[in-house]
Amino acid sequence: MAEPTTDAASPRGRGTGRPDVAQPADVATGGREFPEAVEPEPPTVPDLLLPTPTAAAAPAAEAGDPAIDVRDLGIRYNLRLTRRTTLKGSLPDFFRRDEEMPNHFWALRHVSFRLEHGESLAIIGPNGAGKSTLLLALAGILEPSEGVIRSFGRVSTLLTLGAGFEAELSGRDNIDLVAAFLGIDHSEMAALTPSIIEFADIGPFIDAPVKTYSTGMKARLGFAIATSVTPDILLLDEVLGTGDQTFRARSQARVRELIENAKAIVLVTHDLTFVTEFCNRAILVERGTVIREGPPAEIVRLYRNRVAERTLLAEAEAARFARVPGT
Amino acid sequence: MTATSPDALAAPPGPAGRQSFPGLVGRGLRDIRQRHRLIRYLVGADLKRTHADTLFGQIWWLLDPLLQMAIYVVLVTVIFRRATPDYPLFLFAAILPWKWFATTLNDATTSVTGRQGLIRQIQFPKLVLPTAAVTAGTVSFAVGLLALGMVYVFYLHRLSAWVLLIPLIAVVQYAFTLALGVALAAMNAFYRDVHNVLRHVTRLWFYLSPALYSINDLREGSVERFVLQLNPMTHLLESYRAVTWGTSAPDWLGLLAVLGLSVVLLVFAVALFKRVEPAFARIL
Repeated sequence: MAEPTTDAASPRGRGTGRPDVAQPADVATGGREFPEAVEPEPPTVPDLLLPTPTAAAAPAAEAGDPAIDVRDLGIRYNLRLTRRTTLKGSLPDFFRRDEEMPNHFWALRHVSFRLEHGESLAIIGPNGAGKSTLLLALAGILEPSEGVIRSFGRVSTLLTLGAGFEAELSGRDNIDLVAAFLGIDHSEMAALTPSIIEFADIGPFIDAPVKTYSTGMKARLGFAIATSVTPDILLLDEVLGTGDQTFRARSQARVRELIENAKAIVLVTHDLTFVTEFCNRAILVERGTVIREGPPAEIVRLYRNRVAERTLLAEAEAARFARVPGT
Repeated sequence: MTATSPDALAAPPGPAGRQSFPGLVGRGLRDIRQRHRLIRYLVGADLKRTHADTLFGQIWWLLDPLLQMAIYVVLVTVIFRRATPDYPLFLFAAILPWKWFATTLNDATTSVTGRQGLIRQIQFPKLVLPTAAVTAGTVSFAVGLLALGMVYVFYLHRLSAWVLLIPLIAVVQYAFTLALGVALAAMNAFYRDVHNVLRHVTRLWFYLSPALYSINDLREGSVERFVLQLNPMTHLLESYRAVTWGTSAPDWLGLLAVLGLSVVLLVFAVALFKRVEPAFARIL
């Protein structure tokens, strides 16, 4: 947000006359910074009148350019307000406004890393470690409770395939709807629609309501939409396992293509083979903090060792409990 | 809009909670302007979803208000034995906009909580959700006007050029409903009680609004009449009734007052919504 605007120089000219396109990245870059992280800059009027600061942060995406910069990220959940609160339950707490109440839970804390264009980063770790929370924060869906996330370029999320689909609408209408949710410019989407339909490979079903689709068809359409726009930064959550063998091969090919096009990728997966094969960096997350960052092979080895260790411990524990009734 | 948008962009790019009031409102207006297409698709989806699985399909758009009117006509003329000339039309003129108001408010209130899955999947301006809900209701109201045309067949002597003012009154009602809907959607995300309370409040509100009766049935200078004057829906319903049944001008002053109130409410509602919006993904 604070960078001088160079969007006119951007080869793609992204964001200049297309506020719709610029929207998601705007949220990713500008919306979530803390004021202290921004250089104090005299706000000049021309700067302020630009549609969005997106392109300011998105010059040419070339290998080596920063894509995501995460500094001391913390995400805190307020357990008091989470999950179907009713007045009765929270009224007594309402008047106690203590910041450090045990009702707060840090899903992530002190997470810092940098990702450059052309890199693909795998986030691995046990269930409940905070991997998905990290991805949600990178996508701009969760605001950091502390620290800064800066992303440079258009971010596309593929968290759950088929999110935003309306069962009653046809596949074709859903392409428009999801694109509108994602903030993709309408004319751009119109141009991309044929290739999406082709990639999703659902034939005449494209004009049938989505409620008639199989899970695989929905996943394919979702994947095709999310990857159609050639994002600068692609966030994936455990989606490569969906679909049949053919589609899995095709989606992996598409992901590899995106990686090669100097796009940055962050993916959360339990498929450790995929991590070592396609990612060039990995971080291990446990209990909300980064345990280690490094080459995938090393991180996967570390993770496997820790899992094995924990399994042994758990087995020992189980064995001890098993003996208790006998004594 | 031009006055607020520079403010909006000048607002510190911090967590939305620290934003200034005009900044929040400006961002809200920008959300709506930039995502008008999304709102349109959502309205379309909403309309396709309603009555999609029913035998009569779209005919329910007309049948629903007509049947409701029939019930009240029976209730009031047969059971309570009250005689207002051309009562079905008198009633229908108020039932139709009330139905729009009540269902729309209900839909808007649950618009954010009903999309919790999506809110945790995609980053988008959540303000489009209550806006789309209220807008979709407008379409069903417009279709309901066809039913009004059918009722008119029996009361042609009540038809005057004043009916052309219905869209104008509807604009005021739209603003009022949108303001309430946006605020309620934000509150319901935190406390689902809001939706439960709303159901009962709207029912009570219905009887406290001149739908089954007219404000003129109440004695001039009575407390009841004074209280009813404070109800924005009174002025809206009486205006609809004046132009359809009364063959006269609407309650201009009342409409203007409701419009002013709605705009003020809407500004506060949008600011409230934008203020709490970042928390939605965290609490839903």
